Amino acid sequence: MNYQQAKKVAKRAGENVIPTVCGMCGPGGPGGGCGVYAFVKNGRFVKVAGMDESPVNRGALCAKGHAAPQWVYSPDRLTHPLRRIGRKGEGTFEKVTWEDAIAQIAERLQLQKREYGPRSLAMLSPAKRSYSDYIVRFLTVHGSPNYGHSGICAVQRAFAFMYTLGDWPKPDYGGSDLILYWGRQPIYSGPVARPAKALLAAKQRGARIVAIKPSVEPDVGMADIWVPVRPGTDTALALALLHVVIKEDLLDHAFIDRWCSGFQRLKTHVKPFAPVWAEKITGVPAGQIKDVARMYATTEQAAIDLGNGVEHTPSSNDAIRSVAILMAITGHLDRPGTNLFVPSPEKNPRKITLKERITQEMVDNLVGPEFPKPFQPFIEGTSSAYYRILESVLTEQPYPVRTIIAPGTQALVSTRGSKNVAAALKKLDFFVVADVARTADLPYADIVLPLATSYEVNHPFQRVPGWLMATNKVIEPVHSPKSIFDFFLDLGVAMGYEGDFWGGDLEAAMDDQLEPMGLTMEELRRNPTGVSDSRKPTVYEKYETVFNRSSPRLSGEPFLPNGRVAIYNSTFEKEGFNPLPQWREPPESTTGTPALLAGYPLILSDYHTSRNFSASWQRNVPRLREIQLHPMLHIHPQTAGERGIRDGDWVKVVSPHGWIKVKAEIYPGIRPDTVMLLHGWWQGCKELGIEDYPLLDGGANVNVMYSVEAQKAYDPLITAMASQTLVEVTKVQKQAGNP
Amino acid sequence: MTTEFIIWFDPEKCTQCYGCEVACRSWRALDRGVRFRKVLNVWRGDFPRVKNHSVAMGCLHCVEPACVAACPEEAIHKRETDGLVRVDEGLCIGCQACWDACLYKIPQFGPKGTMQKCDLCFDQVGREEGPPCVATCPGKALSLIGVSAGEKLEHQKAILALLGERPSRRGSVAQ
Repeated sequence: MNYQQAKKVAKRAGENVIPTVCGMCGPGGPGGGCGVYAFVKNGRFVKVAGMDESPVNRGALCAKGHAAPQWVYSPDRLTHPLRRIGRKGEGTFEKVTWEDAIAQIAERLQLQKREYGPRSLAMLSPAKRSYSDYIVRFLTVHGSPNYGHSGICAVQRAFAFMYTLGDWPKPDYGGSDLILYWGRQPIYSGPVARPAKALLAAKQRGARIVAIKPSVEPDVGMADIWVPVRPGTDTALALALLHVVIKEDLLDHAFIDRWCSGFQRLKTHVKPFAPVWAEKITGVPAGQIKDVARMYATTEQAAIDLGNGVEHTPSSNDAIRSVAILMAITGHLDRPGTNLFVPSPEKNPRKITLKERITQEMVDNLVGPEFPKPFQPFIEGTSSAYYRILESVLTEQPYPVRTIIAPGTQALVSTRGSKNVAAALKKLDFFVVADVARTADLPYADIVLPLATSYEVNHPFQRVPGWLMATNKVIEPVHSPKSIFDFFLDLGVAMGYEGDFWGGDLEAAMDDQLEPMGLTMEELRRNPTGVSDSRKPTVYEKYETVFNRSSPRLSGEPFLPNGRVAIYNSTFEKEGFNPLPQWREPPESTTGTPALLAGYPLILSDYHTSRNFSASWQRNVPRLREIQLHPMLHIHPQTAGERGIRDGDWVKVVSPHGWIKVKAEIYPGIRPDTVMLLHGWWQGCKELGIEDYPLLDGGANVNVMYSVEAQKAYDPLITAMASQTLVEVTKVQKQAGNP
Repeated sequence: MTTEFIIWFDPEKCTQCYGCEVACRSWRALDRGVRFRKVLNVWRGDFPRVKNHSVAMGCLHCVEPACVAACPEEAIHKRETDGLVRVDEGLCIGCQACWDACLYKIPQFGPKGTMQKCDLCFDQVGREEGPPCVATCPGKALSLIGVSAGEKLEHQKAILALLGERPSRRGSVAQ
């Protein structure tokens, strides 16, 4: 509805309405930042409607957005700042004041900075959030490079694309006759945002849709062709596509000659990667691989939407750059209906990450570089891989991190190797959790800071391409009045960094960032439904500019050494990495470790997104939990039948690294050799009487199942931790102690 | 000729996001377990030629409602003026005969035990702005419209066909 309608509806119901930005899937993040009308009755937040005026959601709203009031009033909300008094992991705390908690953190950080240097501090990053830049800023001011990025999402694609093409090209959904959704979930990653609506629109205008992923989700049901690839084998598939288009000469020779570097070497290199070779690895019939290659290469207006699914395997970087090369050599770059180089908006809020202060010394001090040091800093600044930060506590290599701050992230369920994570949190000197609700890691915290949700504060502004909107306070804070933004400013001031933290004045921080937009927070707030940008006309074939873009490395060297697509990547070669894309097996797989198949005959992987939860959050929200009460393992009817497993049975899933107990969902739309479930399960739902699950073996946390062995489980260039392994699934016999 | 009102469902525009189901539960403050609108996933075929589709299922306010005929207490009525099928909770004894009779398994029974279901939000404050399930749908798969009895009968048949023989576990119409 629009603002006038919202006001009318509110008036008739005796309610107030406040226009604001949805806070459920992390504003500032991908798919986030929808405009909403929040309705308040007698001081209580009761319901939400989508905002017509927001160019992001245009009046629509997803299940999560509608469940916001239950999230805000959840009994799982953190209510008081806490200090640990028991043993680590035990979860015994005493209440302290916010000021005391901040002072204690500052005291510890100052002490450790003197004793061990600033690098002893690391902060774990959640998915991209509107406060992500504050994390980077705090670390940079402190002098630590250890921004703990996941190593499994988005910047992995950005890295491979940028070092191959100079930019991450986005599908021209509106103009394509053929779209390949590859390892991508266009619906759950923002169901009311542009990609989901673009899929519907493409379908309605008759574009062909190809879905490449191991199981059938709603988007696959809407596709014309399903390519049921085995988890973690996208690189082999991509190499075979290159083989076909080169062998059959389905190429744009003019583009290759003018704009590509190293094509002849690629031609020789891909000879062995025939579709029959890829069929053995990927499980995709050779005929289908040929069909898809031909269809893509010969459709002039064809685009690829490469998703997060390709970022979870040790050959991820080569999968992504194979796809980048495929776009280039078939002439599908920056032309109508293909993948476009989308320039950033003309005006943007001021970036506050202080990247000009990053030094070589900081790069040298990375505890576990997410990208090798020669490629740091990357677009978000310097980064250590989330898991490697935790691992350093255990191995003390190259040095142990002493303090970890987890602002809105849960290490025990958000990264792999949960058993090592638990051991690290136990051993860690000092651990701070700042969140709106109970997290899995809470029992290990030394200090816990309860945060206000975005429905309880008057900041920040939200910037999504095309729209700028003020967050408006919907209700008085239910518990803590302090937000995650207050946390960084208060801690900055307590550390003596007030000059870099706007003297602790949040309004000043907002105004400073908004200055290039030509307005203050107060002025922005006077636009109840935000400010929309006008769209620039699209300019195509910007090769000269894009292929010469400089990289964020301190040297500023361009991404591409000679202004051409780096098919043969001499930049990687110089640092000791493969100049051409290679196939590399996951740590455990059908073709890589066939000896394991006797005991573990099925492939396990997990889903990154769902319709009803944001990552590992919101299992505590009844209306969302009722959509899926328990973790469900998708298993093919035949695979289940062979094991005497029926729909809804509790099953035990065992890998070489751990085991989980979840429910079976007989799922016709999955490869018979593969089972999959959603990640992030641990939290119960008090209102529904569902208890927490154990975090390690015997629970439902899929991260205990995977290898974290350094030589096997990571992509050497972009970290990309494996989320594939081999498992056996058995029915849990009903007995005392079992559900 | 009576105009038959209905929330029309276009399967081509549904992405199975569950926005409608949760919007309805939130706006109508429905009890735990009660759903006036239910999103279903339906399977067809077998691997690798397997397909799925979505149905956002709510009361169709049938032209000849089986629930009305089945109710021993005459608690369910079809309104002549707009085709709306309504239940008088004061008369309902919670026998669930309507549930047995309904081909679409629409009737819901909350903690009170009496039948509840979608009423097209006709008595709701703000009805002029349309039902929340309709307003929240990103693909505009739902629309509140008035049709002829013949058109509604066709849609009833189409929905039954969409439900198919093999709805998923969660989507099972018997759930």
